[in-house]
Amino acid sequence: MTALLEMEAVHAGYGQTSVLHGVSLSVPDGSVVSLLGANGAGKTTTLRAITGGVRWTGDIRFGGRSLRRMSTEDVVRGGIAHVPEGRGILTELTVDENLRLGSHLRRDTKEVRKDYDRVFEYFPVLKERRGLSASTLSGGEQQMLALARAFLMKPRLMLLDEPSLGLAPMIVRSIFEIIRSINQSSRVTVLLVEQNARIALDLSTRAYVLEVGRVAVEGESEELQGKESVRRSYLGY
Amino acid sequence: MQAFLQQVVSGIAIGGIFASLALALVLIYNAMGLVNFAQGEMAMLATFVAYALISRGMSYWIAFPVTLVLAFGGGVVIQRVVIRPVERAPILTLVIITLGLATLLNGLAGFMFGYVPRSFPSAFSAQTIDLLGVFISYRDLGVIVVSGLVLLAVYLLLQHTTVGLTLRAAAHHPEASRLLGVQVSWMLGLGWGLAAAVGAVSGIMVAPILLLEPNMMQSIIIYAFAAAVLGGIESPLGAVVGGLTVGVTVNLAGAYIPFVGGDLQLAVGLAIIIVVLIIRPNGLFGRAATRRV
Repeated sequence: MTALLEMEAVHAGYGQTSVLHGVSLSVPDGSVVSLLGANGAGKTTTLRAITGGVRWTGDIRFGGRSLRRMSTEDVVRGGIAHVPEGRGILTELTVDENLRLGSHLRRDTKEVRKDYDRVFEYFPVLKERRGLSASTLSGGEQQMLALARAFLMKPRLMLLDEPSLGLAPMIVRSIFEIIRSINQSSRVTVLLVEQNARIALDLSTRAYVLEVGRVAVEGESEELQGKESVRRSYLGY
Repeated sequence: MQAFLQQVVSGIAIGGIFASLALALVLIYNAMGLVNFAQGEMAMLATFVAYALISRGMSYWIAFPVTLVLAFGGGVVIQRVVIRPVERAPILTLVIITLGLATLLNGLAGFMFGYVPRSFPSAFSAQTIDLLGVFISYRDLGVIVVSGLVLLAVYLLLQHTTVGLTLRAAAHHPEASRLLGVQVSWMLGLGWGLAAAVGAVSGIMVAPILLLEPNMMQSIIIYAFAAAVLGGIESPLGAVVGGLTVGVTVNLAGAYIPFVGGDLQLAVGLAIIIVVLIIRPNGLFGRAATRRV
């Protein structure tokens, strides 16, 4: 499989504080890759570097093209949907308006309509709440809305920042099932940042563990799950 | 009673003018949390453009949309050239810049057109019609209709088009909007253009009443501030309701409170600002002030 996204020796940070110290990783086309690690390891910063939310050096290539000096808008328009930390829901707008913002750049009207049907199959609750303000949704529903909106962008790559955060285990399971289905039936590649290593490794084929801004461990998800030493020291279960 | 209703109707007409300028203020406040002190002078300059077009023989109803388009372009240019380089500066810096811009535009108009008040044509005759015993001038009626149409157009644009959706998104959540591919910086330019065009309507509507000169909008902008504050500064609907309320209040105060007369009407506008800020700082339609961290 060819790599859809490649990061090479990426350094990044905020002002004087540097957070990433040379991160290299590769996300094969069509795969799900987990990015694990403790709080402050640089997982979120890695995603933010990809979509230009933080200054970085090194190289990041998407579909063979370097993302250097590209604005967030242009990276996103190029086919990367980023569900950020905190989900990025526009709470002043309705559920429907949030969804429409996901699809607002698309011109393939017929396909868009089909994708709305898909989204409402995945998340029937969003159909019921279409007209309501997004601020009335529960945490789980907001996560569903963020995921649905990202799907409607018809991306080649989805960056998901801790989709399990703050949600009940049952909801987390159903959301991860839908991520799996989006990956498999719509061929969307996924780079998944998670604290919950167990559920992330179940979904992904490959995983990277970050430790203070560096890749400490990388390998096939199954392999990492099998190594007790790795699980104990890095994954905490 | 009849005289009272007549005062109310002409209050609504002048209120429609306040509402347009207040809406212009709200559009920019929503987009970047900035009160644009140059809004009145931008409207004044646009009115001079309309004046120049009409006095060169262009018909009023062609000059009107042409002016709005030019004002829109001017607003975009001001955002790109003056505001954008300092976009990330503290808000106080931006406020000072809009004050400087106001002075600059005022001086520019004075330099180009002089300070002699000029009469500006109205598209509507000064004759009155009898509506159920209330005499209303076509001029007031025309102002109400034109302001109403403009406000309706802005409402439809914001609420029912994709551009309006991205404008609102960029205004409320710039970071999240960028991640959805919204070009936030251009949305700010668009917001300034839209505000300039809507403000220009207020200038063109008020010029036949006040006579056109570079300081024409300086009282109107105070009423527009009063209207925007009353409506809750971030609510377009609030700006409209606030504008009409201020228009009617000021007009009635001028007519019925003996010591107010024509001289202290502006003081009534200022009093409204102060009273609203004391009693209900979020205005009629504003949300309670919350800060995101």
